[in-house]
Amino acid sequence: MDSAYLNNWIKDESKVIDLGCGDGSLLRDLMNTKSVHGFGVENDLEKIEKCIENNVSVIQHDLDDGLKDFKHLGFDAAIMASSIQCLRNPKSALIDLLDVATTCVVSIPNFGYWKIRLLMMAGRMPVSSRLPSKWYETKNIHLCTIKDFEELCAELNLKILEKIYLNDHGRPLKKLKRGNLLAAEGVYLIGA
Amino acid sequence: MKKNSAVFKSDLNFKFACNKTLPSIELVYETYGEINADKSNAVLVCHAFSGSHEAAGLTSDGNKTGWWDEIIGPGKAIDTEKYFVVSINNLGSCYGSSGPKSISMKTNEPYGSKFPDVCVLDWVNSQKLLMDELEINCWEMVAGGSLGGMQALQWAVSYPEKIKRAAIIAATAQTSPQNIALNEVARQIIRKDSSFNNGEYISYNTTPKEGLKTARMLGHITYLSETNIQRRFGRKKQAPGTKVAEEVNFEIENYLQYKGDQFSEFFDANSYILMTKAMDEYNLADQFEGTMSKALERIKSKLLIISFTSDWLFPSWHSRRLQKDCILSDVKSSFIELEGSYGHDSFLFASPEYSKILKTFLGS
Repeated sequence: MDSAYLNNWIKDESKVIDLGCGDGSLLRDLMNTKSVHGFGVENDLEKIEKCIENNVSVIQHDLDDGLKDFKHLGFDAAIMASSIQCLRNPKSALIDLLDVATTCVVSIPNFGYWKIRLLMMAGRMPVSSRLPSKWYETKNIHLCTIKDFEELCAELNLKILEKIYLNDHGRPLKKLKRGNLLAAEGVYLIGA
Repeated sequence: MKKNSAVFKSDLNFKFACNKTLPSIELVYETYGEINADKSNAVLVCHAFSGSHEAAGLTSDGNKTGWWDEIIGPGKAIDTEKYFVVSINNLGSCYGSSGPKSISMKTNEPYGSKFPDVCVLDWVNSQKLLMDELEINCWEMVAGGSLGGMQALQWAVSYPEKIKRAAIIAATAQTSPQNIALNEVARQIIRKDSSFNNGEYISYNTTPKEGLKTARMLGHITYLSETNIQRRFGRKKQAPGTKVAEEVNFEIENYLQYKGDQFSEFFDANSYILMTKAMDEYNLADQFEGTMSKALERIKSKLLIISFTSDWLFPSWHSRRLQKDCILSDVKSSFIELEGSYGHDSFLFASPEYSKILKTFLGS
């Protein structure tokens, strides 16, 4: 996720948790540009080392073990960038998210994107530059489309305060219309 | 590696947290590596319960290496080519710093059981005296495992301006009732030794060796893990002719007796009691009206909190709890749980992951 989209959503000096923070570069950027108090959550030791090298506070934790450890710790914003579809239980993670932070930024790869539909039409699981892994190696185990995701948010009474659809190159689409077909990724600001 | 051993004597009245005072104190310490021109490359390492100032290189008896030799040295996690490492024997211990075996100037007798109750804060305050003596303005890092980790945490809280990083390893901000229970059994074993003489064994010319030995055997089990002793000893029988005692059947028994015997040769029983009491009493929040956030809000350094999967003396939840409190108080802090099969003692041994994390943290 490019931190540019987050600039309007994440307030200066707010307390931010990045769930699945990778090497911590997103948090580092937010710390530099917005002076946020950032904490990352990551389970991969090599990525954790990179976080420490990047001067980013990081907590080793398997997101599949749930988010209860991070509830009510005073976070203003939680970020879940392209990791919800990797979880064993994405629904319970979504339910817990608003106990972790008052607002949440969630992004999902859209499996309704027309290029993916084409690949599927050919009778194969999609492999592309954005989804480089074969079916037996991919971490994406709970695939969804923009439609599916927005439907679940409605069911869980999670308010989508703002959303951006991104094209294949990570640039925002000008219109939201037919996003389920045209967007490669959906980025959401979710609140109670 | 350049290595120095020295004794620091402070002639200032030293006031303990328990309000008792000593007119002067002595600290034996070692340094590794060289201090740079602006004295900005100093690292303090703090030892655990039965450790000493001999952390790296060969020990003074020449046949062992220091307790953290796998971590401290040229090119190692705490690289002595870059950093000047200070390692101090704690007050109340028995390796040369002021402790129960020291002679009281008032009575001309060893302090024995009358040595003031010492606590983690006292250690940190005494280490600060040496820091001033060495004209070090700020530690690049204070690091330690177990009771040493508690000192690193205490440094971050008590002297926020004097420390940039704290590595708090296999430790806790508050010892558990299980920790206290195990320590109390060990203390009882020592006290019940007829040679203990209420702690005045030096004047009676006796040593409660048996008590110390058995206490250490119990302690030693808590530093290992079930997997580790399973792998190392299994149910193997001790070969005849190699037994330390007639009654020994299994290798594990022989090993514990051997270790206990060794320990009782050099460790002081009053120190054992003092150091375990210091561990039991450790509860950081207590110093701040029971409010953890008041303690942690003082911190200006970065913390690295490490636990090990097989540690059942200070299991990971201690570290997780500290990390959670740090998040609540906006303290820059990271938590990592490392694989380590040695139990609590895992903090002593360098694995590639452990070394790399420590090195990266120190260099960050």
